[in-house]
Amino acid sequence: MRDNRAWLGVLPVLLIVAFSAVIPLMTVVNYSVQDIFDANTRIFVGLDWYRETLRDPRLQSALLRQILFSSLILALEIPLGILVAKSLPRAGRSVGLWLVLLAIPLLIPWNVVGTIWQLFARPDIGLLGATLQNLGFDYNYTAGTLDAWLTLLAMDVWHWTSLVALLAFAGLTAIPDAYYQAARLDGASRWQIFRHVELPRLTSVLTIAVLLRLMDSFMIYTEPFVLTGGGPGNSTTFLSQYLTSMAVGQFDLGPAAAFSVLYFLVVLLLCWLFYTSVMRNRDAH
Amino acid sequence: MAELLLSNLSHSYPGAGAPTLSGLNLRIASGEAHALLGSSGAGKSTLLNLLSGLLPASPGQLLLGGQDLADQLPSSRGVAQVFQFPVLYEAMSVLGNLAFPLRVMGMSRRDCRARARQMAEQLEIDHLLERRPTRLGLFEKQLVAIGKALVRPDLSLVLLDEPLTAAEPARKWRLRHTLKSLQRESGATMIYVTHDQTEALTFADRISVMHEGGILQTGSPEQLINAPTHEHVGYFVGTPGMNFLDARIESNVCLVGDVPFGSLVVSPGVCRIGFRPEWAKLAGAPAQTHSGSDWIIAADVISQRVLGTHRGVPFGLVDATVAGARIVTRQPLDEVPSGRAQLHLDTVRAFRQGWVVDA
Repeated sequence: MRDNRAWLGVLPVLLIVAFSAVIPLMTVVNYSVQDIFDANTRIFVGLDWYRETLRDPRLQSALLRQILFSSLILALEIPLGILVAKSLPRAGRSVGLWLVLLAIPLLIPWNVVGTIWQLFARPDIGLLGATLQNLGFDYNYTAGTLDAWLTLLAMDVWHWTSLVALLAFAGLTAIPDAYYQAARLDGASRWQIFRHVELPRLTSVLTIAVLLRLMDSFMIYTEPFVLTGGGPGNSTTFLSQYLTSMAVGQFDLGPAAAFSVLYFLVVLLLCWLFYTSVMRNRDAH
Repeated sequence: MAELLLSNLSHSYPGAGAPTLSGLNLRIASGEAHALLGSSGAGKSTLLNLLSGLLPASPGQLLLGGQDLADQLPSSRGVAQVFQFPVLYEAMSVLGNLAFPLRVMGMSRRDCRARARQMAEQLEIDHLLERRPTRLGLFEKQLVAIGKALVRPDLSLVLLDEPLTAAEPARKWRLRHTLKSLQRESGATMIYVTHDQTEALTFADRISVMHEGGILQTGSPEQLINAPTHEHVGYFVGTPGMNFLDARIESNVCLVGDVPFGSLVVSPGVCRIGFRPEWAKLAGAPAQTHSGSDWIIAADVISQRVLGTHRGVPFGLVDATVAGARIVTRQPLDEVPSGRAQLHLDTVRAFRQGWVVDA
């Protein structure tokens, strides 16, 4: 009995978590089960909005696009980040300079990144767009779906590969010299050193990198909004943008709330799946 | 077959003031167990890294079995190295680790496994083969690391860099025996770096005592104990180390604090005399005075520590002062007086500028 009073010590944390996470989330859950006409007119509709949301073809295609986008940027940024980290010098004066240079894209506000690329890729005056046009490519990201996707991917890779590179670099510098020395004496090739010495020691930082990039890219909004506005057509409309157009544009609070809850659960599920699979792999032996 | 010959070997790290190794000469016979003994910073690890090729070639020559090592890649030298802390491939099983150097050599999968298993049996880690190194204790990991180093059949030189730091004393003892038998079996020359003289004395056929980048003395354990050629060797080898007294030689008589101590055929002048605790005995002062040539001098007993008994007589260390200097003797404790006493020496060595002078 006496020991149970210790729970009182947890109370402040519970209060903070309640106000910062649980209450806002439950408000959304509350909206998601009602049809709201105005402040005083609400009808309880149960899971109707959820059913409707799941059957919405526009949402389904946005989800597919989202999964494709996140998979592509992970497949690009993770190997590229490791490559960049591997080619950085480990010691010496230039290290600091390189790290600062790498960090610059991470420090730029997201809407500025979108604006930079919007100008950079413009087929009439942008350095990239105009160059491609003059080289004979019919490049126009506002008209061609493939062009829009390539531009978006390039932008995300430019913006976020540094994060993966910095994490991988931190992981690489934490490997003691003796590991490389022992591998050299064993006669291991550069690939074998990477595969058997470096990669196992990078697992934990790369897990963090994948998780961060997965969650961030799954919630991407600002950059495509500024760059393509979701177009051409709906070809670059991802989940966040569709949700915003639903909640803010059309003011469909109920469906938007149901969507939000599902969206949240999908992100949570993906992270959980990824994390447990990595941990299981690690403990398997 | 694989005699190791170092001639005039030096090494300086870039940016460092003094050279880490200067003018080393050493010959290690094929199949010898050799220990490099010295405190940290003596250059032991640098020497190992030069041998294995982890450090680039330096001035001087390194010959292994008549071949100049400087021309050979680290992996083709036939040299294995075990580090102070276990270094393993963490994502591979113990079996994978043991087989890896063989796989790199291009050995067939079946032969790799067979050889790795055989190695594991010799080190008594065959029950751990399927485990990951991350699931092993520090000592077991080091066993695997030793196995990984020794597994290659083309080895001619094995370098061990304080490999037992992680082990508890009882296991150290057993592992040293295992190492020695492995070494005898393989016929590989072994170099064992340590700062622990007990380890060196029990493991090695011969020991080189290193100090500040040079080798002070190379010899068998008996030679280092009985005939140290440098004060540092006398002090560093032996528990406790050698005692030293400031002395002066006048017409073949050794004076300590102006009192004649014994006769010593050495050129006149200042020197230091050294004697091991077991070469000395403290006893009660007899009535008659001594001649001044028989290595007896007045001493004051401070304290005694019992180490055990020998044939029923308590045996241990006695602390005393002679002419103001602290000394220690190792002797039976039944005849040690308290206070005033006499120090008797069986053997003594004289040193000048650190080096031994008596013939």
